[in-house]
Amino acid sequence: MKRALLALAMLLALPASAQLVIATPRGVVAAHDGRIELPGRWNAAGVAHPTAIGSDGDRVVVLDALDNAAVLVEIATGRTTRLHTGETPVAVAFLRGEPYILARDARVLEHGERRIALAADPASVRESGGRLYVYSRAAGTIEEVDGDRVTRRLRVGPFASDFEVTGATGYLVYPRDGRIRTIDLAAMKATGELTVGSVPVDLTFAGGGTALTARLLAVADPSAKRVWLTEGTQSMTKAVARGALRGVLGLGLFGSGGSLFPTGVDRVEIRGRSWIAYDSSSGTLYTFTRNKSSVLAKGVAPGAFTLTRTGVAWWNGTSVAEKKLQ
Amino acid sequence: MRRLALVFLLALPLAAQQPRLASDFEIAQMEKQLAASHDFEAQLSGHLNLGDLRAARNESSLARAEYQQAAANAERERIASRREGKLTRYATATSYAGLAQAKLGRDARAYELLEEAARYASDDAEGWNVYASAMRTLRHPRKAVSAARNAVAIAARGDRKLDLAVYQHALATALIEAGETAEAERLLVTVTESLRSSAFDSLRRDVARQESFEIYSSARGDVAAYVSLRSRAGLRLARLYEEQGKPDRARAEYERALEIRSDDVTALSALARLARSDAERERLYTQAFDANPFSTALVEEYRQYLRTHPNANADAASTGGQMRRALGQLARGETRAARASLDALLARFPANETLRALRRAAEAAPAAALPTATPAASELRALLDSFERLTPEQRSALDQAVYTSVVQFEGGVFESGTIDGVRFRFSEPTRFEGEFDAAAPLRLTYRILGVTRSGDADALLLEPVRLESLDVEQRR
Repeated sequence: MKRALLALAMLLALPASAQLVIATPRGVVAAHDGRIELPGRWNAAGVAHPTAIGSDGDRVVVLDALDNAAVLVEIATGRTTRLHTGETPVAVAFLRGEPYILARDARVLEHGERRIALAADPASVRESGGRLYVYSRAAGTIEEVDGDRVTRRLRVGPFASDFEVTGATGYLVYPRDGRIRTIDLAAMKATGELTVGSVPVDLTFAGGGTALTARLLAVADPSAKRVWLTEGTQSMTKAVARGALRGVLGLGLFGSGGSLFPTGVDRVEIRGRSWIAYDSSSGTLYTFTRNKSSVLAKGVAPGAFTLTRTGVAWWNGTSVAEKKLQ
Repeated sequence: MRRLALVFLLALPLAAQQPRLASDFEIAQMEKQLAASHDFEAQLSGHLNLGDLRAARNESSLARAEYQQAAANAERERIASRREGKLTRYATATSYAGLAQAKLGRDARAYELLEEAARYASDDAEGWNVYASAMRTLRHPRKAVSAARNAVAIAARGDRKLDLAVYQHALATALIEAGETAEAERLLVTVTESLRSSAFDSLRRDVARQESFEIYSSARGDVAAYVSLRSRAGLRLARLYEEQGKPDRARAEYERALEIRSDDVTALSALARLARSDAERERLYTQAFDANPFSTALVEEYRQYLRTHPNANADAASTGGQMRRALGQLARGETRAARASLDALLARFPANETLRALRRAAEAAPAAALPTATPAASELRALLDSFERLTPEQRSALDQAVYTSVVQFEGGVFESGTIDGVRFRFSEPTRFEGEFDAAAPLRLTYRILGVTRSGDADALLLEPVRLESLDVEQRR
């Protein structure tokens, strides 16, 4: 009975409708209850089901994957433009100030009236070096988009859970294999792979990336209930130049004993000294350092938290809550 | 992620579009499964099936309770598997939690859970099949098509022909709902031919040995999945042929479905629709109502039929027969009798919303009005149906009023008969002064005392005042 009550309590703790927040130079913008607001500045009509959000600093785009809709908001004024999108808009990226909306089930990248056809199940879009890169999960391809057309295509393997880009290096996370594959986007070539943890799901960059040090990758592994810190590679060339392609380090932040988090975290975000992780099964948001983790909030919806310039912000059910971390 | 061991999620038609079989037997089987097996898979598939079966019978509050139970079970499994670091189990449970939320109409939560499952296990065909099913439930057929394509593409890389057929069928179902019928037809032909091929000989022998015939939305085991899939794929192809104006092909596929299960309500009602004679049609409707008396689609279809055949035979004592009788009464405007028939059924099936809706329809008569001095049949029928709603003032006025109509007595005595098709009866046989031909139409002046029964129908209870012969001109 006690367990059933606990489960019910956790169910109730998760909000009934989705909320999203995103940090911008003018403050944290929240999409909730059919509205989009920059608290204290403006409040505009939003979408029924906010499912993804993106910003280039001047504008915010809120997507509704269920209703195939998007609302673009000028952050300075709160002026909105409503868009009808292709089937299931899941992500937005900005290129030269223009929003590109990834409509997954239509298999297109939309730029205004342009529809750029993509491979099966396009799941992520990232910008690098003035071009966009789309990873399609079922097809297992990365497509480079330049000038509103696909210019190059690379087969890298299907079913990655996350695609991140830093500089000219792309990283794909494969939970089933326990691997991270690296891609040199400039050359559009796979450059190697790392074995990280048991079930890596999400990845972010924790620093490094100098001439002497490789990029540090922080990888959320809910099976191990840890965030792993490992060295990535910025490119094979650079790694070789350093003479240290160290590959898999599999370094748990806190040694091999015990778990870093009381529950398995599957999202990780880092900005400067602000490190946060999130458990999507329970909606628990953590802050962590190399030595300890602590609960920031519970019952937070996926996407309802964001790193700001000085800390973290999240939707607490009625408003945006913030905590300084640095 | 992998499919729940031995559970096949089959694409079924949306309840509002097409009926599906939902017999007491299948409900009893599922309740037995729930009582006997307490593992996650048995409980989840049991509650989902029961929910679908209840929904097909238009028992939405009962269906909702089952879906809520399925959602709670899936959430518990999510939390437990996550705590144990079993992420394959977690992805599966999350996927089914999303489906249960979709069945409950909670679209945002369903989407969130399904996306979460896909993040962990986008390589799992069954996960995409569940995703497609949830999107169909939420009426997003194009999203369902996309998810189902992923399932088919993944399954096509393996060697499980039954899995592939399940996913192809799901894709075809979503394509039909998205209006893309040409590809759907090709897929359904592929699926039905594959299921009839020698590749499934061994499974067919198992079906025969186990005498398996139940049709479920979440089938446990290859045998149950094969039976359910073969039936559903055939029916869907038949429906496509029917819509394309190919009745012979449609009939052949519907008849094949009856070879698998002789009381399949969808096939029976479709064959009734395509019947070549009224006698054949009525026989098939009788069988269809005996298979599922409460299918909304069947009820609607039969009501259409009754518009042109209001006196269709409905003398069976079965629940299906009682339903047909009630529908016939409604079609003939005998709403009082229909209310009595429906009340009797509601006493046995109190949660059934098909019955409730029909009961409301039988109740929704205009305000009662008194007939004019020489009333038309419609005025008398309206009074018959609304007699209980007369105000005290109307009752008093009715007691004083005298009416005149041309009547036709029955049985050679002056006791009962009809006024332009509306039945009436006196409180006892009456003798009139003068000579009258009881078999001929006569002019009756009368008072209306109330409503009574005459044979198996409602009738006006009259007090005769005067009886007259009609002259020749009036008889004409």
